[in-house]
Amino acid sequence: MSAQEPEVEEKQQWEEELARVGLVRRLLRARRWYGADWWFVAISGVMVLGFLIVAFLPGLFARYAPDQQVGPRFLAPGAHPAVPILVAASGSGLVNLEDLAVGPDAEVSRPKVAVVRGLPTAGALRERAQVIDDQLQVTGDLRLRPSIERYDTLDEALQAVADGDVVAAVVGSDLFDADAAKFPTLAAGNDITGEQAAAGGFLLGTNQIGQDLFSRLVWGTRVALLIGFASAGVALVAGVPLGLIAGYAGGKLDRLLTLLMDSLYAFPGLILAIAITAVLGPSILNVIVAIAVLYVPTYYRIVRGQTLSVKEDVYVEAAQSIGATSGSILRRYIYPNVIPSISIIFSVNIADAILTGAGLSFLGLGLPPNTADWGIDVARGQEFIQSAWWLVTFPGLAIMMVVLAFTMMGEGLTEILNPKLRDR
Amino acid sequence: MSPLALIFLIVGIPALAGLIYIFVRGSSGLRRFIITRIALTLPMVFILASLVFFVMHILPGDPITSALGPKGDPATIARIQDQLGLNDPLVVQYGRFLGDVVTLNFGDSLTGGHRPVLDEMSERFPATLELVIPAALLALILGIVGGALAASRRKRTTDYGLRIYSVVIYSIPIFWLGLMLQLIFGLKLGWFPISGRIDAVVSTGLHRVTNILLIDSILAWNWTAFRSVVWHLVLPTATLGLILSGVFVRLTRINVIETLQMDYIEAARARGIRERVVVYSHALRNALIPVVTLIGLQVAILLAGAVLTETVFSWPGMGQYLVQRISARDYTAVQSVITMFALMVAVISLAMDIVYSLVDPRVRY
Repeated sequence: MSAQEPEVEEKQQWEEELARVGLVRRLLRARRWYGADWWFVAISGVMVLGFLIVAFLPGLFARYAPDQQVGPRFLAPGAHPAVPILVAASGSGLVNLEDLAVGPDAEVSRPKVAVVRGLPTAGALRERAQVIDDQLQVTGDLRLRPSIERYDTLDEALQAVADGDVVAAVVGSDLFDADAAKFPTLAAGNDITGEQAAAGGFLLGTNQIGQDLFSRLVWGTRVALLIGFASAGVALVAGVPLGLIAGYAGGKLDRLLTLLMDSLYAFPGLILAIAITAVLGPSILNVIVAIAVLYVPTYYRIVRGQTLSVKEDVYVEAAQSIGATSGSILRRYIYPNVIPSISIIFSVNIADAILTGAGLSFLGLGLPPNTADWGIDVARGQEFIQSAWWLVTFPGLAIMMVVLAFTMMGEGLTEILNPKLRDR
Repeated sequence: MSPLALIFLIVGIPALAGLIYIFVRGSSGLRRFIITRIALTLPMVFILASLVFFVMHILPGDPITSALGPKGDPATIARIQDQLGLNDPLVVQYGRFLGDVVTLNFGDSLTGGHRPVLDEMSERFPATLELVIPAALLALILGIVGGALAASRRKRTTDYGLRIYSVVIYSIPIFWLGLMLQLIFGLKLGWFPISGRIDAVVSTGLHRVTNILLIDSILAWNWTAFRSVVWHLVLPTATLGLILSGVFVRLTRINVIETLQMDYIEAARARGIRERVVVYSHALRNALIPVVTLIGLQVAILLAGAVLTETVFSWPGMGQYLVQRISARDYTAVQSVITMFALMVAVISLAMDIVYSLVDPRVRY
């Protein structure tokens, strides 16, 4: 008892001291409580939590479905998609398509609107004008029935507006932006489609088939975390009991298993996974199995090593002497001792598994080709790296952030659960 | 003569000679270690080969049917299966497979020119070697310098910075790092080429002896070719080397820190030797011993990384070959390449352990 007294005193002093300092200081001192850099744990914890929320509720964050074509192809991050807009002489007051509506004598003076031959703007104009016309007929006596004049080139169409041959032109906003300098007297009006949905642009741009990259990344979180958790989990369920049994039983079984596991451990993981998925064929389940196989040895090695040292302890001997069965000794006396290491490996394994899974799908193996997966997105974007840098950059960044979160968590856990490493 | 045989002559014979020299001149403990280690390699090769066999033959899924597609002619499927002996009992297949591994008889490619797979591999193996060795050296240099630096400035900004570096670099997908380097240094700045091993114009004039282009261009005294080869090597090597360096930084740091706490370091400090000399000369030398073993363990990561790096940089090595053959559903070639990787792992880890036993005389069986 006497040996414990100074420790108690020290603890009280420590608590008093803590009560005096502010919250920030207290957090800073947390380093000493856990023997870990609290910020490492805090940052990774927040990141992991964030990714989990995104994975469970992708609909909250993504505006579109991952395989839905929602915009033009290759739209740069933040850029606005091209929409048909109304172009008229500045000062004419024509901004919206509705402004072209005229009175009942419209039959004789239908407003002429220029479009460029061969572009979809003419169709959009006709459809939209019809919709507006129908609405106008209900409410009043104005009509909107523009007469569409077709020109061969954009310049001709715009020149016609500038010369007053036509009242306005309907052209793509991107085309007009590029050409506006040549026609200083013209001004861009509003989007004629009247839809504001795509007007906000796409945060991370669109890919080669017009899908929203950000939405794909959000949905891809699900696949990445599923592969990570499931394969690390399967490996844990297989590796831990094997390690416990081999370490406790020893003998021939132990030597055989160890040789097997060491060989498996030495084999380049990705290459084995490539082989397994190449034989099994593409499906997410096969990927999980292939990756899980790679990580069984990591659990096995650690658990076996700890079992070997723990089984020499006095309390295990005591349990043996009162006649406890091997099963209950493993379960009640040895297994609790290996839990801390398992949690560290689990976290690091999730990170590894996500990386390996991404590598597999980058190579075009494992996942079905239409999956919203980051590795697949990088692989597809590689083809367009010269023109569309965002297609490879952001999915890869997403992989890195998730892996970083789990690696840091493993790092933090190591320091909390394994105080021997504290001074390293 | 095939490049593979030449490489064996260049690397294998001196290695063998060195081994025999060590064996004859070494202590009896060392001799015993080497014999035991070689003896342990055999079951490892056996298990690795069996693993490959298990994956390729016993897992559900029929490679031939999937190669020819669902509309494949049943007669053709049967003929190819018969030709490859896939209808024999598994035990017979297994025995034949192990025999083929021992004799390095990998059979012919199923598609394309139906060339012997060994020939194809021996053309590509040097390319992989040319990528992997400089990358490993780069990782080692970065790792040792970084690790020693972090250890000597422990718990200061440099240390934390390097720690963050090693965690972050570990988390970067290697293919993405390659693509980012391509984007920045290849496309934006235009400094380095982003694919292949050598410019096509220079390539035609270069006589290939070993197919390790660095050596070939020196042998041919062709400096234009040499420059081109080095320029092509920069980005792939940097990709693979940077990814690996994180682990080496960590390990060197831990080992140097542990060594710095030893008594002989204290004694050196007490004699008034400058701290820099103590860290870099006294501590680092002993701390590096475990790093040697780590190289052996990193071979797996190195080879897996090489597969991805080669794919990103269109580097015509073993990894790219593997990926190509998988998409061509060339079953013999895939099995052979994977077996070859397994053999490489076994041989390199054997070599590393022997080197380790020479560096650290305490390691004996």
